[in-house]
Amino acid sequence: MNVQVVGCSHHDTPISVREKLAFSPEQTLEALDQLRRVFRHVEVVLLSTCNRVEVYIAAAGGELPSGEQIAEFFARFHGLEMEELLPYLYQHAAVDAVNHLFVVSCSLDSMVIGEDQILSQVKQAYQAATDQDTTGPLTHTMFQAALHVARRVAAETGIHTHRVSVPSVAVADFAKQIFESFEEKRTLVIGAGEMAEETLRYLQDEGAHDITVVNRSPQRAVELAERWRGRARDWEELNQAVTDADLVISTTGAGEPVVTLETFREIESNRRQRPLFILDLAVPRDFEPAIADRSDVYLYSVDDLQSACASNRAARDKELPSAMGIVRQESARFMADLHHRATGPVIEQLRRGWEKPKQEELARLLNKLSDLDDRSQEEIRRSFDRLVNKLLHPPLESLRDEARDGIPHSLLDALSRLFKLRD
Amino acid sequence: MLSGVSIVCFAVSYAVALGLEVSRLLFRSGVRGAAMLAFAGAGLVAHSIFLYHRVVSTPGSPLSSQQDWFLIAAWVLVVTYLYLVYYHSKSPFGLFILPLVLGLIAAAAFFADAEPYARGPASRIWGMIHGASILAGAVAVLIGFVTGLMYLSQARRLKHKLPPVRGFNLPSLEWLQKANARAVVLSVLMLGVGVLSGGILNRITADPNAAPLPWTDPVVISTMLMFAWLVVASGITLAYRPARAGHKVAYLTLASFVFLVIALGASLMFDTEHGNPRTGEEKPAVEETVDLSPSAISTGGGRA
Repeated sequence: MNVQVVGCSHHDTPISVREKLAFSPEQTLEALDQLRRVFRHVEVVLLSTCNRVEVYIAAAGGELPSGEQIAEFFARFHGLEMEELLPYLYQHAAVDAVNHLFVVSCSLDSMVIGEDQILSQVKQAYQAATDQDTTGPLTHTMFQAALHVARRVAAETGIHTHRVSVPSVAVADFAKQIFESFEEKRTLVIGAGEMAEETLRYLQDEGAHDITVVNRSPQRAVELAERWRGRARDWEELNQAVTDADLVISTTGAGEPVVTLETFREIESNRRQRPLFILDLAVPRDFEPAIADRSDVYLYSVDDLQSACASNRAARDKELPSAMGIVRQESARFMADLHHRATGPVIEQLRRGWEKPKQEELARLLNKLSDLDDRSQEEIRRSFDRLVNKLLHPPLESLRDEARDGIPHSLLDALSRLFKLRD
Repeated sequence: MLSGVSIVCFAVSYAVALGLEVSRLLFRSGVRGAAMLAFAGAGLVAHSIFLYHRVVSTPGSPLSSQQDWFLIAAWVLVVTYLYLVYYHSKSPFGLFILPLVLGLIAAAAFFADAEPYARGPASRIWGMIHGASILAGAVAVLIGFVTGLMYLSQARRLKHKLPPVRGFNLPSLEWLQKANARAVVLSVLMLGVGVLSGGILNRITADPNAAPLPWTDPVVISTMLMFAWLVVASGITLAYRPARAGHKVAYLTLASFVFLVIALGASLMFDTEHGNPRTGEEKPAVEETVDLSPSAISTGGGRA
């Protein structure tokens, strides 16, 4: 039973190479089809995301393709030179491959550790391979175990709950704690900073679609509004736009606050005390800090969020060892199960070998004691079953213990010879 | 077999569920959610069996005594808790609701009178309406109190820009505010029905020769105070929209809770005629009239 992974990731591979190696969903199906034809009798799953491209290969018996063969396949498929790829490709085999899949699925190897997108990407990769019929018993077991481990890590550690980027913290740890849903909320973007765009992406993922853009340059406001499927308003309407808004993301390059406390008091009187979430990403700040003291106003600056990010990062780092511990434990258990499974045929033969004399002796005994009632006969049968199970228990336990460190070839061989199982 | 279930059985189950809720703040566990549900669910089953046993063994049950009233209020709160935990499994509702449940059970066990209220066929239906509506109103006030506390706690964290505390993921302010406002409306409606039915109960069961339950009875006064407060507060929130938003509605529910505690305290501490048979000392009773008022707090029960 062999398992290996060949691929590259954001750790050592520049984006220029990852871009060339990436597989679109259609290419993934085509690649799986080709891999199945080129490498017969192996099970294959292809995982391609913006941060990694990996091929998981498994075979119940026989040799697996080498790393070079997989690299050749990548090069041929994408029309690249081998020399371009080889320096970046890594290869893990056996327990290391399983461990790697578990680490990836749990988002412990992601660019942003703990992000939850990778698990759905792993699921999609597995599903695509299953649909293309390139999976088999080993990859089924491996990927289902990976999903189980990811769920366990999510349940038992806080690795996924600690966000570490300013926009994700702003949305998940603060905006989502104020508003139950963003579908009917009005989002106002003041200015055109990059971080506003990233924050908007998070908000749109959460259902925000009523977006208004206010910018000193009306043309720029219209461009941004079109890109974000929102509407533009004139700079002169800023106060009214803040009055109407539920969420404000401000990223202007203004040298002084665009909304002062005095201005906000006027705005506030028309808001009827609706909660207002203000994300002030501008430096210097766009909203006068004293506005934060107003009732039902939740104002966050970059510094506020960065300190939250730092504390989240520290909390996440604390969780990392326990998450890795779970992965190691599950990898070891998985490999032991896998090795133990390899002993299945010998165990089966052993059971069959003992079953036959048991049945013969039982038949002989019951024949001699033909006057026994059904209940007594049943009791004797059970007693024979228990005897065989007790006799089989020590060798089976030894097999299970030995399987923890690999397939117990010598023990299997000894059992086969001792009990003449070859027949 | 059913009579083997005691108050201690379900109180201990709820206490363990509360302990598990507290442990959310200390460490993570993959099985805690299931264990919490199992203990609270087991407690609820024992609680239900206990109440069922009371119903079959005590004439006039349910709500036949002060003790029943407290136990049924606790039962309704536990059902609400399980419902909330099912839909918001990550929110620590139990930290807020289960102490109230245990408080109600403690009041039932140590302070409340287990003697059945006086009862009579004429007032039976009105007594049930009175008791059930006052109970629903009181539970709504308790739920409002819980969501109000959660709102203020969440708002404080957000205002101070603090990251979420592990194991203490409260629902959003918007959700809490809605729940809070609904609890206020429900409590006003239910207490309104309770007060009205109490008044009717006081009339229809009135023995012409017996003195009616006086309006100066501590239970009547405290309940009327709570109801008046809720009516005034709800009126303000209806007339002035900002009062329905944010902290104001949360403070409103906290104040309502204080009135509820006063009303419940009055029923337990003061000498009250509420719920007692009213045969009329000055004038002999012409017929047996009975107070079916099942609640410990009412305005007009207690006729006999």
